[in-house]
This record gives sequence, C-alpha cells and structure tokens, in this order.
Amino acid sequence: MYGIGVLKGLWVTLVHFFESFADDIRWGGKRYYTAEGIQHRRSSDTKGIFTVQYPEEKLPVPEEFRFIPFLLYDVDENGNAHDRCTSCGICAKVCPPQCIWIVRTEDPTTKRPVPEPVEFYIDVDICMNCGYCAEYCPFDAIKMDHDYELASFDRHAEHIYNKEKLSKPTSYYAGIRPTNYTREEKVRADEEAKKAAGAAARAATPAAAAAAPPAE
Amino acid sequence: MTTETRPNASAVNNAGYDMPPEMRQNVAITTLDKIWNMGRRYSVWPMMFGLACCAIEMICTAASRYDLARFGMEVMRPSPRQSDLMIVSGTVTKKMIPQIVRLYNQMPEPKYVLSMGACASGGGPFKEGYNVVSGVDQYIPVDVYVPGCPPTPQALLHGLMKLQEKIDGESITKVRWYQKGEIPAIPVPILGPDIIDPRDYALIREAKPAAAQAPAAPAAAPAAPVAAAPAAPAGTAS
Repeated sequence: MYGIGVLKGLWVTLVHFFESFADDIRWGGKRYYTAEGIQHRRSSDTKGIFTVQYPEEKLPVPEEFRFIPFLLYDVDENGNAHDRCTSCGICAKVCPPQCIWIVRTEDPTTKRPVPEPVEFYIDVDICMNCGYCAEYCPFDAIKMDHDYELASFDRHAEHIYNKEKLSKPTSYYAGIRPTNYTREEKVRADEEAKKAAGAAARAATPAAAAAAPPAE
Repeated sequence: MTTETRPNASAVNNAGYDMPPEMRQNVAITTLDKIWNMGRRYSVWPMMFGLACCAIEMICTAASRYDLARFGMEVMRPSPRQSDLMIVSGTVTKKMIPQIVRLYNQMPEPKYVLSMGACASGGGPFKEGYNVVSGVDQYIPVDVYVPGCPPTPQALLHGLMKLQEKIDGESITKVRWYQKGEIPAIPVPILGPDIIDPRDYALIREAKPAAAQAPAAPAAAPAAPVAAAPAAPAGTAS
C-alpha cells in the first residue's frame, strides 16, 4: 500500500513537535537563557529545540578555545601597569602567517634596549589563530583570547590591532583560563624562587671562593 | 518586550515623534527609510556558495543549532539573481576570483558582501602566496569583515548582525543603487600566468615600454648560442 512511508515520516515529525513542548514544560522557563538550560540543550539526550538563541545567549567556549591573541600586563600594588612582553620577537618569528609587528625602543640616555615594546601590532585579518605565539612566548606575555565578536566594517582602520587594543590585564586571563593561569603562575613563582635562591648562593660563594684559593 | 532587550532591534516605531503613552500600542509613526530598512534587514538572502574551510562553519551556522532563519536569512539561494548577500567564505584563489566577480556582477542590487575569515579578508596565511588573492576587497566592495580562522558560527552571526546594523543606517536617498545612472559592472579579472585586473590596464601599458627597453641588451647575447644549437645536429647528420 502506498503512502505508509509518508505517514510514518509525518508521525515522526509530529512526535518531535510535541516533544519540544514537553521538554519546554518540564524545564519551566529555565530551558532558555540559563547556563543549565544551554548545557541541557547541548547534551545528546535533549529533545525538542536545541537552537542557541545567539545574541541573547551564547554557547560557553571551552577553556582552550583560541581566537585572536592578546597581550598581558601585570598591575602592581601602586596600580601601575607593566607589560609582560619584553619585545624579544619570538612570537613574530614563529608566527606562520607573520601577522605580528613589534616596534622596539632603546633608552635615549644609556642606549640600552628597553624591555617593553613601544608598539605591538597584530593584523587580525592575517592571524590564523594557531596559538604558536602563546605557545612559544617565554614570558607568558601573549595569550589567546576567547572573544570572537570582532566583525567590523573597515579592515584597514579597525582590524590592525595596536598595543592599546591588545593589552589586557592578567586578571582577565585568570578569568577566561583559570586552570592554565594557576599552572603557569605556579611555574613562574617556582622559577622566581629558584632565581632568588641562586642569587643568594652566588652572594654567598664569593666569600667561600675568596677563602678557598689561599687554602689551595 | 523582547525587542527592547535586543541590542539591534531598530526602533521602527515612533521615529523621533512624541506620542501619548496610551497611543503607543495602537499607532506607529515611522519614516520610509526605517520601514524600508526593516524589510531589507530581515530578508537578507545569502548566496549558497562556499570556498574553503570557512564554508563548513557557514553551513553549520545555517543549520538548526545556530539557525540563520532567526535573522530572516533562512534561504540560501543557489542563484546570484535571487540573493542579496555574498558570504565570501574561505580562501579566494586567483583561479576563483573571476568567477566571484562575475557572480557579484550578476547579483541584483541591493547587494552586500561579507568577507568571512582571515583568507577572504586579507589573504590570511597565504597573503603572499602565488595563487591566492590577498583580500577579496581588492576586487569587490566588502561591507563586513569577520576575522577568525575560521570564525565560529557565533562570530559569523555577529558579523551578520553587523551587516543588519549597516542596513539600518542606510537611507534610500543616499544608497548607490537608487542614484541616477547605471552602476558600472566590475571588470572581471583575467586569469593568465598571473591574475590581471582590467582596471590596471593603464598601469600595465605604462610599465610595458619600460620593461621592454630594460632587458633588450641582455637578450641579444644569448640569441647567438640558440641560433647555433640547431645547426650542430644538422651538421652531424649530413
């Protein structure tokens, strides 16, 4: 008999239609615009509508999600900002599409290089979000951002990010990547401690070294 | 009620006119621009064509998880004659740009272009490649640039909302497709050994005499061995 397949298909559609209402009622008003609701609708056992109502609610991004890089700066107790970047240029060298441009500077009196970049540009229309810069940076100064809402009308005016636009405080980084942040801060603190211990040892050895040669 | 919380919902009603509060639900005063733009912004039909990996994200955006239909963009038109928006999703190779420009010329006004991803906007990792156009905006006018490699579906949606914002700012007395006269078609680039933009013909003509004069002297020197080479086998054979 013809038409059975059509009816079966319509039946499936009808069941899905009612299931969407059933799930909405089961969750009350909490199925949309709440974190648990989004989590439920993402899961495999959800039934009914699973569309993310994007501008009003956003899918939570995973911690390792990476978009355009940004620069970190530390804020000390006096409220002064210090760039972690030392303008060493490793990120610019490893960058596969070469979208990073750093302007270095030197002290006008001593002629020694200043360990902070004057300017730091990233062309976000070249950046391929690979994360090599963040991977290779020895100072944890450049990290990948989670902010993806960057569309604009003019790429030459707005899509070449300068240092001012790229710089974000470490607290922001701690907010978007908490586990990475704690792990890296621990490593940094250990290295600081080791360095301090080494300096102390070196301070102690001259006395020992001065004492040793006459003995030999 | 929800329209007020939406960031982009244009206030179609009450365009700058005072109205008693009890009338607000019953009477709408608007301008022609606003009603025109409202119709336009909620019926942007993208063209169904994808170029590279960004197209996968575009397809994902059109599917039911992100659902372009919520923005009135549900129908991806496979014909340029029926579409308003060209989403340049992916790497634009030199071989592809003539077709893209031709498709753009075939789209009826009003037409918009959204450049999706690093490759389409600025060439991306291939910006100095031998086979990739470093930025589709060298050939066709782009309205919105969406950075990312690739942009996530939500980033693309944000770009589309930016486009809607742009449409909101239009005025029917100012947009180029309501001006007098014909809009000239963009000359289609020619694929030769390299891509040739017909708009650069004047520059190419200027450059040609200079190029012709410069290698004239070195070219004379290797001419002699080339002429002598065929003579040698001929001599051995006879």
